[in-house]
Amino acid sequence: MSEEKVIVANKGLIRADFAFWVGQYLDKFYNGLENKKIRGNKCPKCGDVFVPPRKICGKCNVVIPLEENWVDLPETGTIMNFTTTPYRVNDRSSRKTKDWTIGMIQIDGSNTSIIYRLLNMEPEDVKIGMKVKIEWNESTKGDPSDIKGFTKV
Amino acid sequence: MQKVGIVGYYQVKLYSDANYGHYEMIFEASRGALDKAGLKKKDISTVISCTNDYYDGRTISNCFTVEVGGGYMADESKVEMDGAHAVLYGLMRVLSGNHNLAVVWGGSMPSCYPYHTVRLYETDPTWERSLAYVNDITSAGFQMRAYMEKYGVTVEEIAKVAVKNKKNAAKNPLALKEAQLANLTVKDVLDSGKYADPVTELMVAPPCDGVAALLLAPEKQALKITDKPVWITGVGYNQDAYYLGDRDLSGCKSMNLAAKMAYNAAGITDPYSEIDVAELFESYAHEELIFAEELGFADKGKGAEINSAINGDLAINPSGGALGGNPPCATGLIRVIEAVKQLTGEAGQYQVKGAKKAVASGQIGMCAQNNILYVLEAN
Repeated sequence: MSEEKVIVANKGLIRADFAFWVGQYLDKFYNGLENKKIRGNKCPKCGDVFVPPRKICGKCNVVIPLEENWVDLPETGTIMNFTTTPYRVNDRSSRKTKDWTIGMIQIDGSNTSIIYRLLNMEPEDVKIGMKVKIEWNESTKGDPSDIKGFTKV
Repeated sequence: MQKVGIVGYYQVKLYSDANYGHYEMIFEASRGALDKAGLKKKDISTVISCTNDYYDGRTISNCFTVEVGGGYMADESKVEMDGAHAVLYGLMRVLSGNHNLAVVWGGSMPSCYPYHTVRLYETDPTWERSLAYVNDITSAGFQMRAYMEKYGVTVEEIAKVAVKNKKNAAKNPLALKEAQLANLTVKDVLDSGKYADPVTELMVAPPCDGVAALLLAPEKQALKITDKPVWITGVGYNQDAYYLGDRDLSGCKSMNLAAKMAYNAAGITDPYSEIDVAELFESYAHEELIFAEELGFADKGKGAEINSAINGDLAINPSGGALGGNPPCATGLIRVIEAVKQLTGEAGQYQVKGAKKAVASGQIGMCAQNNILYVLEAN
C-alpha cells in the first residue's frame, strides 16, 4: 500500500527442536550408509526395489516385512534428471550463490531415484542416462550426509 | 451431482508487500464477497478457510481468523492445502444439506515469512530435509527438464506461456504489478536469470500477498441470491506419490485422473471443444502445458500448439494465471473465481467472448503432487 513499511512485526521466535524417529527401515538403511553400503528393499508384490527402503509399497498397499526382501545394491547408478541452481534453501534463508548441480540418480538395481549433488562435473557436460557413482564422505555418521554426492564413472 | 451455485466472490489486489494486516486483508475479501452478493453476517452458515500454519507462523491458525473471516459463532473449519481444496470442503458442507451459505476464503502473506524456507518443511525430515537438495526450487527444474526431454519441447515454447500469461496479467487490475508485463518477449523470459535450469525467474509464479473469498449455496438458495449463479457441475481430485524419485515428472497423472473424475461428473466427453476457458494453477510456465495435455486439450507433448490466447481456440489463464501472482493458499481459489468471472461476463479486458463452460484447477505439493479440478457452468 504505502511506500513506507508501517507495520513492524514482533518476531515471536520459538525454539522447538524436533527429534524425528526415522523408523526401523531407515534405521537399517542408515546403518548401511555408515558402512558405505546401499541397501534397498523389494516389494513382495510388484517387485519394485526402493531406495531408501519403505515399510509400505504405496502402489500395492502391502507391507514389506522388516526382516525380508532386503537387496544389497552397488554404489553406481544412472542420472535420470538434473538441474543447476544458484539458490541455496536451508533452514535459515534462501539465498543466491554459486551454481550447483543437483541430480536425480537411480541406483543400479532399484526403481526409484534419490536426489544428491553431482560433483566435479560442469553443468553442460551432464546428460540424462550418464553413469555415476557415489562419493562417500570420509567419515560417515549414519545419516543422509554420508553420501557427499555422485561423480562420473 | 446435486447443483451447488457460486453466488459471490472477492479477491484483494495482489502485492509483493501489501504492508497492511493479514486480518484486514481476510476481512476485505470475506466481507467483500458478502457485500457484492447483498448478504449479511447472519446469512453465513459455514466458513471454510485455507491457510497454512507454517505460513502463518502459528499453529491452528484459523483460531485467530474466526472474527475477520466471518466464522464468529458459525460452523467453521480449515483446509491446509490450496484454496481450491477449501472450495471442495465448502462444497461438501453444502451438499450435506445442512447449510444455505458457505464462505470459503484462503490466502497468506509471504512478505512476512521466508517462502522457500518454509516450503522446505514439506520435505521428509527423516530423509531429505536435512540436506535441502530437494526443495520447491530444484523440483521445478526437474519437472521442466523431464517434460522437455520426454517430448522434445523447447525452452522457447515454454517461455511463450510466460509471455502470454504476463501479458494477460497486464489486463487484470488485481494481478501483481510486477507481473503485469504487456511488452514482455520470449528473449526477456529466457534472459531473466537462472532459477533452477531450465526454469528462469520469469517462468515462476511469483509468491505474493493476497486473500480471496468465494460464496457457495445450494441450488434453490443460489437462485434467490443471484440471477447469475455459476454451477459447479463436476469436481475431481487426485494425489500422486510423495517422493519425486518415485514419480514420472514428465507428465502429471494425478491431474489426468482428477480431470477424468470431474469430466465424468459433468458429462464432458470432448474437453477441447466443450470447454471455453481454463484457469489453471501453474506454479511454473511448463506446468500450464503439462496440465493442458493431461486435461485432454492436446496430445502429450503438444500443449504448446494450442491457441490459448484470450481470443484463441481455448483460452487458458486469460487472467494471467498464477504467473500473474501466486498468493499461497489463495491461488487455486482465485482460479475458480476467475473462471466464474468469465462465465458471468465480469472479466473486463480479458473477457472470453461467450464463455459458457470453464474448468479451474488448484494444486499443492512439489511438482503438483495433488491436483483438483472443477467444471463450472453458466446459468
